[in-house]
Amino acid sequence: MSRKELFRYSEENKEEFLKSDNITFNDGTVVTPEEIWHYLTVEAPVKYPNAYEINELRGSRRTRDEKYVTGLKSQYLSLTLSERMEKAKDKGKTVAFIQGGQAVDPYTAADTIALRPALVNNWNSGRKYGETVYERNVRTKGIKERAYHDMSFEACQTGGFEHIQAGDLRVDVIAPYSALRCSDVSYGLEAHRHGPNDKVKLFLGDYPMRFQADKEWAIEYFAHNIRKLIETLDEISGKKTTEEDLKNSIKLHNEGRKLAIEASEIWWSAEVPPTTGGERGALFGLGTLEGHGDVQATLSVLKEAKNIIAERVKKGVKGHKISDNPKRLFVLGSCVGINASRSEDAGAIVVGTDNHWSHVVKLVDEEGDPYYNLAKATLEYPYEQSIEKRAAWTVEQIKKSRADGVIFLHNWGCNTQAAISRAIVDVIKRETGLPTFISERELGGLSNEQEQNRVNAFVEML
Amino acid sequence: MTNINAFAGVDVGSLGTKAVILVNGEIAGSSLIRTGINSVENGLESLEKALDSANLKKEDLKYIVGTGYGRISAPYANKTITEITCHAKGAHYLHPATRTIIDMGGQDCKAIRVDEEGNVVDFAMNDKCAAGTGRFLEVMANVFKVDISELGPLALKATQVLPVSSTCTVFAESETVSLLARGEKPEDIIIGVHHAIANRIKGLFSRVGIQSDVFFSGGVAKNTGMRKALEEVLEVRIANPENDPQLVGAIGAAVSAQRLYEKSGNVSQRSA
Repeated sequence: MSRKELFRYSEENKEEFLKSDNITFNDGTVVTPEEIWHYLTVEAPVKYPNAYEINELRGSRRTRDEKYVTGLKSQYLSLTLSERMEKAKDKGKTVAFIQGGQAVDPYTAADTIALRPALVNNWNSGRKYGETVYERNVRTKGIKERAYHDMSFEACQTGGFEHIQAGDLRVDVIAPYSALRCSDVSYGLEAHRHGPNDKVKLFLGDYPMRFQADKEWAIEYFAHNIRKLIETLDEISGKKTTEEDLKNSIKLHNEGRKLAIEASEIWWSAEVPPTTGGERGALFGLGTLEGHGDVQATLSVLKEAKNIIAERVKKGVKGHKISDNPKRLFVLGSCVGINASRSEDAGAIVVGTDNHWSHVVKLVDEEGDPYYNLAKATLEYPYEQSIEKRAAWTVEQIKKSRADGVIFLHNWGCNTQAAISRAIVDVIKRETGLPTFISERELGGLSNEQEQNRVNAFVEML
Repeated sequence: MTNINAFAGVDVGSLGTKAVILVNGEIAGSSLIRTGINSVENGLESLEKALDSANLKKEDLKYIVGTGYGRISAPYANKTITEITCHAKGAHYLHPATRTIIDMGGQDCKAIRVDEEGNVVDFAMNDKCAAGTGRFLEVMANVFKVDISELGPLALKATQVLPVSSTCTVFAESETVSLLARGEKPEDIIIGVHHAIANRIKGLFSRVGIQSDVFFSGGVAKNTGMRKALEEVLEVRIANPENDPQLVGAIGAAVSAQRLYEKSGNVSQRSA
């Protein structure tokens, strides 16, 4: 395979970058901007050329804006995830594979790293050095195909389970919630129960049927589930997680959630989008503090990010290569996203999504029983509510983001989202009058040309 | 560049590559070739042939728009636009009263709603599966051992509509073989196949709605049996312009080329 042309960060931005803050990790390690710059400009291009490849179809660089410090730091955290996970495992840290509508506060309390399917895939992807975008795509597509055989081609999130079954990754526990948002959780669980790797523990969080957030029994029952989850994590680690630990974890995560909400308000208030759509998504996503496998590191980047965004908005800075009057898209659905750079080339920008954002906006009460409070907040996630309630909340977010159009995507195999997409979109259409579009896609598909074609047509229509 | 007011649209589809030349707003030339493995060469070859039929050279063109799945590799085009927009513009150019378009190509079918100026106001496409498209009909033509162009006329000879599955090309093929083995008349099965496709299309219109006039574009629109089945299933009359329906996307691309040129006033040089 011939080598591809790689993007290089310009040295002229180095001085400014070096003035930025350190990143502090969970274990107390501090990484300076100098070290980050060295990693991004010297080490990472050799290890992960795919992240630097100049590829108009699938540029996977986390940021396209060299002057956007948060983007560079997010990329640093993303690129180092695999190495950090390996080191954490060497030190005996517990790692959980999680899925479904859950917050990671209990995992943080129990000193456990919680990784969703995308991060598990990222961990595995990063274990191989020197790949081009194409080579990595072929490899990961191969894993997906293998998972189709082992589980079902009807399931959407299959890679994580496949890695665990194959023994590729040192995951200690699989802990999905039986939230109705993920119809494919059952495929993964069955595959795990009957697969060869039965050493990995299984904890199934029994999420009470939807729309029970106002029922005392449901909150109590779910709080009991969270207690059992923490007990399971403690059995693995040999530690004892206290109520105080969970309270502190909730406070920490609330800090992240509040910062992300404030950052979103600043971003949405801007006359011109202050970052690209991909950078916006990464910024808002920092609020869960779970996106990089290290809560403290994510929090340090987020604290700095809020000020950076405020400064950019004040100065009227426009996101990298964003057109003058971009069509603002709001994208709905679980585990979906459109190709940010290609959509921006077509004259659009993604200004919001609903899925994980629903977790960010729901703050947890800090006074009283933390198990009860967390259970109550989780059951109140707007995304998990009835169609009318979820749609009403989504309409609010769409209005805040000043979107021009709404796209609902659902992955092949994601039966719940596919089934309710039309009803949600109908409410949104009725309440906002905005053009809407629904499309099915394949998660992890090698080529998303069909999807991009539809998105571009929608943008042209707008 | 000469003073001729010439524009081109090139539509590189999954089965056919089409090009249309517009001179002073009128269609002056066109071409249709089979899409091969090199979409850049296919586009250029189709463009050259269309230019030949219009007695023009590439230098005469002021602006080129590329569309279709091959548009991703169209260095000869000033701009690329999706075929959804192009079919809308093309249908409006040929039949200005068009408000709804059924486009059936080699691998997808689309339901497109347009306003009085040919702007797309809503659309829906088949997802994932190519059952109910040109490929589906090709498979069926193979079963009956006839050329695809013969399917439509055969369908019109049917005395009854035999139901055939529309959900999967492979299942529909085995169902068809089974019906033949049962001794059913081929014409009755063939009209059943066309109705199966029409029923699939009906599902798309349940999402975007339907309003007259209805225009039928794409390669499958040449099939008279398909036209009849759609009219029966959708309960509409389909407009019948004289032009080749397979060229509608390329016509729309050429119309868009002219509009973009006029809008920009000062166009940059083409890249190839």
